[in-house]
Amino acid sequence: MADEPQQDYTSADLKHLSDREHVRERFSMYIGDNTARGLHHLVYEVVDNSIDECMAGYAKRVSVTVNVDGSVTVEDDGRGIPTDRHPQLSEEMDREVSTLEGVMTVLKFGGKFEKGAYQTSGGLHGVGVTVVNFLSEWCEVEVSREGHVWQQEYQRGEPTGLVRKMGTTTRAGTKTTFKPDPQIFPQTKFSWDILSRRLRELAFLNSGVRITFNDAASGNADEYCYERGVEEFVEHLNKASDPIHADVIVIKGSSEGVSWDIALQYTGEYTESLHSYVNNISTTEGGTHVSGFRAALTRALNSYGKKTGLYKDLVPTGEDVREGLTVVISVRVPEPQFEGQTKTKLGNGEVEGILNSAVGDFLGKYLEENPKSAKAIAQKGVLAAEAREAAKKAKQLLRERKGALSGGGLPGKLRDCTSRDVERCELYLVEGDSAGGSAEGGRHREYQAILPLRGKIINAYKSRDDKVLANEEVRSMISAIGAGIGDEADLGKRRYDKVVIMTDADVDGSHIRTLLLTFFYRQMYRLVAEGHVYVAQPPLFRVRSKKNVYYVQTEDEMKKQLLDQGLGEGVFLPGDGREIAGDEMQKLCRTLSGLEDALVAMEKRGISLRDHAGRRDPKTGKLPMYHVYYGVEEHWFTSRDELEAFVKGKEKSAGGELAVGRVEEAQAAGDATPGTAPGTGDDQLVVVDLHEVRSINAGMKELEAMGFGIESLLPEDRTGTEEPRYMLRRGDNEIGLEDLRGLLTAVRRAGEKGLTITRFKGLGEMNAEELRDTTLDPANRTLLRVTMTDAAAADDLFRVLMGEKVEPRREFIEKHALDVKNLDV
Amino acid sequence: MPSCPVCSSHVDLATTPTVPFCCDRCRLIDLGRWLDEGYGVPQPRKPGPGEPQPDPADAEDDG
Repeated sequence: MADEPQQDYTSADLKHLSDREHVRERFSMYIGDNTARGLHHLVYEVVDNSIDECMAGYAKRVSVTVNVDGSVTVEDDGRGIPTDRHPQLSEEMDREVSTLEGVMTVLKFGGKFEKGAYQTSGGLHGVGVTVVNFLSEWCEVEVSREGHVWQQEYQRGEPTGLVRKMGTTTRAGTKTTFKPDPQIFPQTKFSWDILSRRLRELAFLNSGVRITFNDAASGNADEYCYERGVEEFVEHLNKASDPIHADVIVIKGSSEGVSWDIALQYTGEYTESLHSYVNNISTTEGGTHVSGFRAALTRALNSYGKKTGLYKDLVPTGEDVREGLTVVISVRVPEPQFEGQTKTKLGNGEVEGILNSAVGDFLGKYLEENPKSAKAIAQKGVLAAEAREAAKKAKQLLRERKGALSGGGLPGKLRDCTSRDVERCELYLVEGDSAGGSAEGGRHREYQAILPLRGKIINAYKSRDDKVLANEEVRSMISAIGAGIGDEADLGKRRYDKVVIMTDADVDGSHIRTLLLTFFYRQMYRLVAEGHVYVAQPPLFRVRSKKNVYYVQTEDEMKKQLLDQGLGEGVFLPGDGREIAGDEMQKLCRTLSGLEDALVAMEKRGISLRDHAGRRDPKTGKLPMYHVYYGVEEHWFTSRDELEAFVKGKEKSAGGELAVGRVEEAQAAGDATPGTAPGTGDDQLVVVDLHEVRSINAGMKELEAMGFGIESLLPEDRTGTEEPRYMLRRGDNEIGLEDLRGLLTAVRRAGEKGLTITRFKGLGEMNAEELRDTTLDPANRTLLRVTMTDAAAADDLFRVLMGEKVEPRREFIEKHALDVKNLDV
Repeated sequence: MPSCPVCSSHVDLATTPTVPFCCDRCRLIDLGRWLDEGYGVPQPRKPGPGEPQPDPADAEDDG
């Protein structure tokens, strides 16, 4: 338009920037930026050239020195940059130009563009040292080559003179010193940490190359050289973590011009630590080499996990199997294409397939051949998948709880108390719905709340049932108690001061108690630690006499009471004319009572008192305490000394120490002769320590002092007489006894006279009133506060039960089966 | 030596904020197992289908 000012557009507006001008004006195109990152990049560019010389096999060492004036010297013992006239350049520039000058001052000039010189190389695609020169205040290169030392200097990229011959030498190599230009870099101070990290990294990636690093100003010096390369890199990365398998897995190979060098190891950490490189360049954005590796890893682990049944319930995702993975992936690609925001993502499509199949093949084989590591790695993935699922569930739970708080939705089964005075409020967790009903009727409504709980039986495995806390029960408890869990836990928000576990005194009850205590210990640790968890002590017996009703808590207490009452006016007639009564009678019964438990324990082993009495030591009259098997031999010893003498003798004839076996193992193996190693028939020493015999011997001694020998405990074969051997007389009542052991039972039975004793099989058998009088009413009840030790013990027991070891589980079940028997009087 | 119930790594009860777990993640895994009914105590005997859980105390009369 005519009004608008005419703009001149002439050739004067256009300018052709020289390489040097272009780099200095547009430095970000070459080194990213002029911050610390770009500054340190200068050193890497020069070092990369030396590393290339090393990898091509011409150099062994690279040394890097930060000089006192802030310049940096990089020196290698390679071939040295050629210093002779370069025909092509000389012709183009119409003057004598050496190759060295070309390398230092002409972009896109260098050995890296000829495949003959280097297979693969790092550096910024051939612009390398030229760019460094252009961005330096000054630069000096010294080349030792073919017997001479050559040198050239540059100022801001321009040679200050021709290449000069300095003298003779026997060495070879290139030494480059440069000082970053403060006109370009606002900050020109090099960081020891940044440089040492990269130099160490280069040493890891290029195994065998020795890199020395000196800081002249501080005197710091370091040297990096790793013969095992990436393998050592992974060890270095994992030095502060705990690896879950001992070996670092190394995958090396090459195909279609691409070579790879991969090392990996899993640790207990939860994050992935992946370091990937292409031609020594850190590919922070990943790329085809990384995706190829990951796909292969996921595939190999999934196929292993499925084959072994580890991934039966949960199949870990790719992310899951990378949890705790430390991996270094270093590939060399002849013509890498870099993509992405920072040009640190490998784009070469062919690399993905090559790595995928190479890594997949290797790992498949590795997992087969290393079952121990394979299992640890596969299980790590399962845990990760589990954590992911658990986090989802926990979030859901929290959402529900928040909804519950606003909507007032406490669990439907909770019979809450009316008071909101937390310090007085109590929550009873009651086993079973019927007991829950009684408890509801017998509670103090104002401050006692009842939550009935039931164990749920699930078919855990083919051959086994498990009792679990149902999902609903767990959630009900969390929401009723109100103190939250985990991150959210806040004891201040608890709705009750006491949480009381009330279960039956039977196996089911003990199972549920173990589950609850473990749950509280793990998920509501503070609640336990600060003493808010209790166990109720419901009575086991109700005793009704003419006058009143009372309750007895335990088996032992009941027995003791009956004995005390039965003793009353009882007189024992041992048939020798004596009449034992009063204190003496009491003493006799106490002794017998202590003896009885030990005798029962011994008989449980299948050793009868009559047989054992025959094995008494003729001198001391003591019963043997050690039952010893050796091969087919079987012995009984009454003292440690005798046992040792026996072992010494056997050692002498065996010519060395004896193999010691465990009787449990022999029995578990169904071996009838415990003295031979199961399945082998070899002689083994098996010693069974009959602990209870100590008590029996002690009790016998007391009995002897009262005039009773061991035979008094054994029924006698007596024929032709009507008279009982012993007699218990209470008033007019006389009870005949065949041995001394019968005395206790007779006395207790006498103690029961006039009493009606009911044994509660469960809480549900008590009515509301009874439950209140015995277990709920603070005036009469006994509550045991759960200590951390108690809870930790429950957790320990629980771990044994949850563990994979069959044996401890079996023992637990048997032990509890025995306990149940003992409960019956 | 106390160990984490989930991953078995060592836990210092005095200084670990997520006791008795080594970290919050393991605590979460444990919570997930509770909610999943994955924790159970083995049962002494297996009742037949439809039968109630037998009570061993029924076998004998009261003393």
